[in-house]
Amino acid sequence: MSVLNLKDITKKYGELAAVDGISLDMERGKVLSLLGPSGCGKTTTLRIIAGFTSPDTGTVEIAGKDVGHLRPYERNVGLLFQDYALFPHMTVAENVAYGMRHRGTPTSEITTRVLRMLSLVQLTGMEARRPHQLSGGQQQRVALARALAIDPQILLLDEPLSALDAKLRLELRLELKEILRSVGATTIVVTHDQEEALTLGDEVVVMNAGKIAQRGTPTQIYEAPADKFVAEFVGRSNWFHASKRSQSTDGLTSYVADDGLEIRTRASRPDSEGGVDLCVRPEDIELVDGTAPESAPSPEHNVLAGVVLDVAPLGADVHVVIELPGKSRLLAIRKNVGRGSEILPGQSVRALFSASDVLVFQR
Amino acid sequence: MKSGGSQVLPHLPEAAANAPIVKSAQKRIVGARVRAVKSQVLLLLPAVAVFVLFLGLPMLTVLNESFRTFEPGRIGSVEGAPLTIENYAELFLPVYMRYFSQTYFLAFCASLIAVLIAFPIAYFIARYASSTMRKAAMTLLIGLTFLSALVRVYALQLAFGSVGIFAPIMSALGVNMNGSLYINCVIVVGLLHYSIPMSILILIGAVQQLNPRLTEAAQSLGASALSSHLTVTIPLCIRGLVSAFLVSMTLGISAFIIPWILGRGRVMFISNLIYSRFSEITNYPSGAAISIVMMALSLLLIFIMSRLFTLLDRT
Ligand SMILES: Nc1ncnc2c1ncn2[C@@H]1O[C@H](COP(=O)(O)OP(=O)(O)OP(=O)(O)O)[C@@H](O)[C@H]1O
Ligand SMILES: [Mg+2]
Repeated sequence: MSVLNLKDITKKYGELAAVDGISLDMERGKVLSLLGPSGCGKTTTLRIIAGFTSPDTGTVEIAGKDVGHLRPYERNVGLLFQDYALFPHMTVAENVAYGMRHRGTPTSEITTRVLRMLSLVQLTGMEARRPHQLSGGQQQRVALARALAIDPQILLLDEPLSALDAKLRLELRLELKEILRSVGATTIVVTHDQEEALTLGDEVVVMNAGKIAQRGTPTQIYEAPADKFVAEFVGRSNWFHASKRSQSTDGLTSYVADDGLEIRTRASRPDSEGGVDLCVRPEDIELVDGTAPESAPSPEHNVLAGVVLDVAPLGADVHVVIELPGKSRLLAIRKNVGRGSEILPGQSVRALFSASDVLVFQR
Repeated sequence: MKSGGSQVLPHLPEAAANAPIVKSAQKRIVGARVRAVKSQVLLLLPAVAVFVLFLGLPMLTVLNESFRTFEPGRIGSVEGAPLTIENYAELFLPVYMRYFSQTYFLAFCASLIAVLIAFPIAYFIARYASSTMRKAAMTLLIGLTFLSALVRVYALQLAFGSVGIFAPIMSALGVNMNGSLYINCVIVVGLLHYSIPMSILILIGAVQQLNPRLTEAAQSLGASALSSHLTVTIPLCIRGLVSAFLVSMTLGISAFIIPWILGRGRVMFISNLIYSRFSEITNYPSGAAISIVMMALSLLLIFIMSRLFTLLDRT
């Protein structure tokens, strides 16, 4: 049975629909990432589930019961705010105990549970501190412990890591994932960081302008994006616009891009007025020396000749920008293997990518 | 080390030659600092002069006067009148104690009621009112403080006085409009006229500084609307609540016109007593002693409140 069931939720602020007909159901113990650009309605969705905002239309069901008429404190939903909202006048232990106090948990049980929660988030020994005596990462953990302490039916995390610096974010992301798994909390994590969404979630929901653009596993979202928005928003991508299709042979379709390049694809879409958008992920592109005699590994492969504009070694990966004949640019990401195989700016190269790696979207 | 030592030597004369420059530079820096201090003192001078001349000295003469013997029939004490503590001692008579207890009790009631009424209003204005509504409310509140005290007092008198428009209703309800309880209530209402708008203005600031997410966090953790306010909003606004209370208290204790008119001679505040001492029976020494005691009590009150505040305030 699903723990959470949203049916056709809409919330308008004036003319603007912050949430526009969202339906969503979640199973117990799953972690769902809610990913989308700023202002797409993620926070509003969470606030509707928590009961701080009432939707214009639609119903919210928690564990099969309509909770539309319940106030926030009558629902059993844990909410972690973007700025943590720790109570500054209480110690860490009092913060964590707050929810249990107000739910009538016996005092002796509160004490042991506070200690257990704090050890879960690795803050043992910090019970007596005040929030202002903690680092940002520690505050984040207290907020998590406080939300988990009430054993909520659903845990809502609103950009839990966004207030932290990049390095800490990475560490805490993995830790957060572990904690959520070990507690088995049914969780929705809101984020506008795609890496965060893909690592934390069993499933990812991509939102755009108040609507759900796609829901799927991280792999599905990345490899089979439902539309151009998802493909562009998740991961890096190279785009070609083609207005005409030349022909189809052996299950391959050839498109002539606006800058004259011919690109073969495995997928095909019916012709449309505005043409199609073709997308190639940079890590699907292989680079070979342009001076070597041309030889495509298979008829499936697209071969584009170009000149290297820029090479940026970023740790494990090297980002190579190539200028194609039509002045359009192509980003290729290759593993940083080092040892003589470096590509230098100004070098002429050929970019190879398989027709089945090209995503086709209708305009 | 050796070579290091020998290297230093040849530099010595140079260092010595540099010394005057260094010294003069230091002098310049010190000079600049002295000048800065001087200019700060100069900046404070007018304020200090005003304080000493118009506040400190008059208060000293009041203090001096309060220890002088008074001969009835005179205006104030005579030049070189003998020192006495009689003026203070007589304040312990029950008659006088009543003035003090009345003043402080009514001011306390009015301040408490004012803060209790003002807080929800301030919370609403700070949290839920649109910006135009907030501006309108602020303008109204500030405007209210400009309204003449006499106008307010006579307005209350016309409405709730013994011949006021509510008199028939009151007598129908069986309220004795000449009873001292009723008069005290009307005086408290009069004090509220000042203390409520003032408290609202102070508390709006306090509520605006509070992160609204905190109350929401409390509610998402299971605290009801009321208990989330009791455990989160109020403790975090304690600073504002205490200052609103103190300001109301100050306004109440020093009230003059309100008890004078609304008290109908039955209820008098210390200010009224002081006034009558000074201008009606011209017993300056007694008036001075009452003033000094009143000031001491007020300082004590502020001290107690601030101690209480440090105990309550955990932020
Ligand atoms: N109380 C409100 N009054 C008016 N408009 C609002 C209100 N709350 C949200 N909105 C609008 O609704 C839209 C969605 O807001 P929401 O906070 O849900 O976005 P978000 O996806 O959480 O964005 P971010 O990633 O920046 O936090 C925004 O355009 C916002 O301006
Ligand atoms: Mg948000």
